[in-house]
Amino acid sequence: MFIMLLDIMQINEGGGFVIIQDTVDCSGRQLLRGFVNAALKREEVIHVLGFEVCDNEFRAGLDSRCTQRLCFHDGYTDPLGWTDCPPFTVHQFIPQEINTCLRRSEELRGVMLVIDSLSWILRHHSPAVVCQRLQELRRGGAVRSILVLLHSDMHQQGIVGSLCHLATAVILVTPGMSGQHTVAKTTRRTKSGRVTRGEECFSVSEDLTVTIEAQISGSGNTQAEPEQYEPDPAANLTFNLRLSEVEREAKEKLSLPFVFSQEKKSALLRPRPGAGRILYEPDANDDFDQEDPDDDLDV
Amino acid sequence: MYTELVLPITVCVIGCETEIESLIGYIFRRLTSLPLAAILARSKMAAPWNSMSNSGPEQKARLPCNPTSFQKKSRSNFISIPGTRPSVQNGQLIVSTGVTSLDYVIGGGLAVGTLLLIEEDKYDSYSRMLVKYFLAEGVVCGHSLFIASARDHPDEVLQELPAPILDDIASPRIEEGQGKLCDPEGQDSMKIAWRYQNLPKVQTALASSSRFGHYYDVSKAMDTEMRQAAKCTSFFLPDELTLSSATGPSQMNEGYRALLRSIQGVIRNQGFDGSTPQKSRNVLRIALPSLGSALWGDDICCTESPGHAASLTTFLYGLRALLRSSLSVAMVTMPAHLIQNRAIMDRVTKLCDTAIALESFRGLEREANPLYKDYHGLLHVKQIPHLNCLVCEVPDTKDLAFKLKRKQFTIERLHLPPDLSDTVSRLSKPDLAESAKLLSSGCGSTAAGKKHLDF
Repeated sequence: MFIMLLDIMQINEGGGFVIIQDTVDCSGRQLLRGFVNAALKREEVIHVLGFEVCDNEFRAGLDSRCTQRLCFHDGYTDPLGWTDCPPFTVHQFIPQEINTCLRRSEELRGVMLVIDSLSWILRHHSPAVVCQRLQELRRGGAVRSILVLLHSDMHQQGIVGSLCHLATAVILVTPGMSGQHTVAKTTRRTKSGRVTRGEECFSVSEDLTVTIEAQISGSGNTQAEPEQYEPDPAANLTFNLRLSEVEREAKEKLSLPFVFSQEKKSALLRPRPGAGRILYEPDANDDFDQEDPDDDLDV
Repeated sequence: MYTELVLPITVCVIGCETEIESLIGYIFRRLTSLPLAAILARSKMAAPWNSMSNSGPEQKARLPCNPTSFQKKSRSNFISIPGTRPSVQNGQLIVSTGVTSLDYVIGGGLAVGTLLLIEEDKYDSYSRMLVKYFLAEGVVCGHSLFIASARDHPDEVLQELPAPILDDIASPRIEEGQGKLCDPEGQDSMKIAWRYQNLPKVQTALASSSRFGHYYDVSKAMDTEMRQAAKCTSFFLPDELTLSSATGPSQMNEGYRALLRSIQGVIRNQGFDGSTPQKSRNVLRIALPSLGSALWGDDICCTESPGHAASLTTFLYGLRALLRSSLSVAMVTMPAHLIQNRAIMDRVTKLCDTAIALESFRGLEREANPLYKDYHGLLHVKQIPHLNCLVCEVPDTKDLAFKLKRKQFTIERLHLPPDLSDTVSRLSKPDLAESAKLLSSGCGSTAAGKKHLDF
C-alpha cells in the first residue's frame, strides 16, 4: 500500500517545498513537528524560523539525542524588533540574510528549512515578494528543502493559491468525521507534471511519531493493482470450443482457397515494367495513430 | 471624366483540378492587379500547391506524376520563410504551433505578428507541454527563439524539448522496396495481404521543414546538436533584476519593463523588424510561460483588488505593438485560475489575439464523469482573431477535449460514447425525431427539448 503522507515525510529530495495547510479547527503543528522528528532521525540538519511558539515548546517531545542538529531562530520573543537586540525578526526574511545564517552551520549536504509559520511573514511582507524570496531560497545552494506551516483561513484565497502553485506537495489538515482522528489530504506534483492525491487519517503520538490510522482514498499507484483474473470464456460450456494439438496442426496445414504458392507469390511481387506505383503522402487530415482504436471498446 | 468599362469575361477551361486552378490564377493575374496569393488563398488547393513549389527533394518524386506542364512564371509577392506558409483563409503568413490539431482548431496556424494566450490548467502540466512543442517546432523550422521565465531557468526548459519524429529515407525506400525480392521467411511476410508486403510503411513525417507542422515524441529529448543549432535568447527574471530594489511608481512593474525592453532589443538587433538587413528573413518565436504569476512581482494572482492592476495589461499592449511591427509570434501562458479578478482576465483576453484555455482532469477525484475517461482534459477556445477579414473561421463544435499521447497531442470533439447499459431507456418515436433534430444542429443550440406541439 502506498501511503502518501509517509512517503512525503521520507523523501528529502532537493528543491522540495512542502506546505502544511491548517485551519483554526485543527492545528497542523503536531504534524509539522512529526515531520521534523522524522528528519532528525534521518540525520538532517534543520533550521527553524519560529514565530508562533517558543523554543522550548517546539522542542518538546523531540528525540533528545538528535536535537543538537536542530537550530532554532527565535522570532517569537521579538518578531518586529522593538527591543534593541532582537534575536530574529520578520524583516530578516531575506535570502541573503538567511543564507548567511545557514552557512554558519557548515553543512555540506544542504539544510532543511522549517518555517513556523509562513502566515506571520505574510502579514508583514507582500505575497509576491514572499513567493519570490522562497523561490530564490530554493534555488540557492544552502537550503535543500523547505517545510512550511500555513494557516489557510488567515489569508485570501489568491495568496494561498499562489503559494500552493509553487509547492511540490500540499498537505491539508482537517478534523476527521468521527472527531477523533485528523485527516490529511495530500496533493503532490512532480516536475514532469504528474499529480497524485491521497487522503489519510493519521495521529501523532507523544513522541512525535506519525501513525496512519486509515487510508480513506488512496490515489496510489494504479500499476500496483494485481492482475485481474479473467475467467476463461471457453470453459463451462455445453459445446467444445478448444482445439487439441492434432486439430491445431491440421488447421494450420489447411491451404486456403485463392492462396498462391510461394513461387507464384514471389514472381508476382517482382517489379514488372508498367506496373502502377502507390505514392501516398499523408497530409494534414491524416492523423496517423499507432494505437488500436478497438482497445477502447468496452463490449 | 473617367468612365469605366466593364467587360464580362467567361472562361471555360476543361482539364483536371490542378490545371484549372493554376490557369485561372494566371489569367486573373494578367487581367487584374490583385496579388496571386490572395486569389489562390480563396481556393482550397492553395496549400499543397505552394508546398510543392517550396520543397526541393520532393520535386524529383513528383515530376513523373505531375500531370500539367504549366509553370508559374510570376514572382511571388509574399516572402518565403522556412516553416511558414500563407493561410488558406485570409492569406496571412502563418507558422505552426507545433501541435497539428491545435493548428486546425485556431484556424490553420498562428499568424505571424500575433499573440497566442493559453490559460493554464491547474497544475501547469499541459500548458508547459504546449510551450515545449512551440519551441521544438521553432528549432526544427530553424526559427530564432526567445524564452523568458521567472521560475525555472530557460535552459532547463530547453533541455526538455521533445524529439521530432523525422524520417529522411522516405523517398529512396520506394525504389529499394520494389527492387529486392521478397523473402517468404522474413518477419514481414503476410499471409493474406501479401501483395502489399514490399511497400514501405506509411511514415508520419517527411524530411524536416518542407512540411508544415511536425510530430514529436514526448518520451525522448531533442538532440543537443539540433538544439544548439537554433539561435536562442533567454531572459531569467532573477538574474535580470536585483530583488532588493524598490519598485518606483510606474504603470508597469519592473519585471515587465525589463522583459519588454529585452524583447525590443532582440527584435531590433537581430533585424526582425527590418531595421537592420538580415541575410535571410526569419521569424522570432517568443515563449513566455507563467506570465502574471506572483514570481513576476505581480499581485493579480494574490488579491482581488491588486495594487497595480494595469501592469500586466500595459505590458501586453506594448508586446502586441512590438509583434505587429516585426516578424515575430508570441505564446504566453497565464495561471488564469489564480487570477482573482475576472475583469483583469477579460481585459487580458481582449488584448491577446488568439486565446484558448486548458482544463485538465488531472488530480480530480475519482468521481469524475465517466464521459471523460478517454481524455486528459477539456480545451476551450475563447477567442480567434479577425485578421484583415470580417469573419473568422471558428471550429464547428465548442466541446473539444485533448489527450496527450506519446507521439501526438490530439484535440478531438467530445462526443458521447454509446450507452451500453441495460437501464438506458428507449425513447419513443416522436422523442427520437426531436432529439435527432436537436443534435444535428449542434450543441448549444436551442435545446429546450420540447415535445411536438398539438394545436
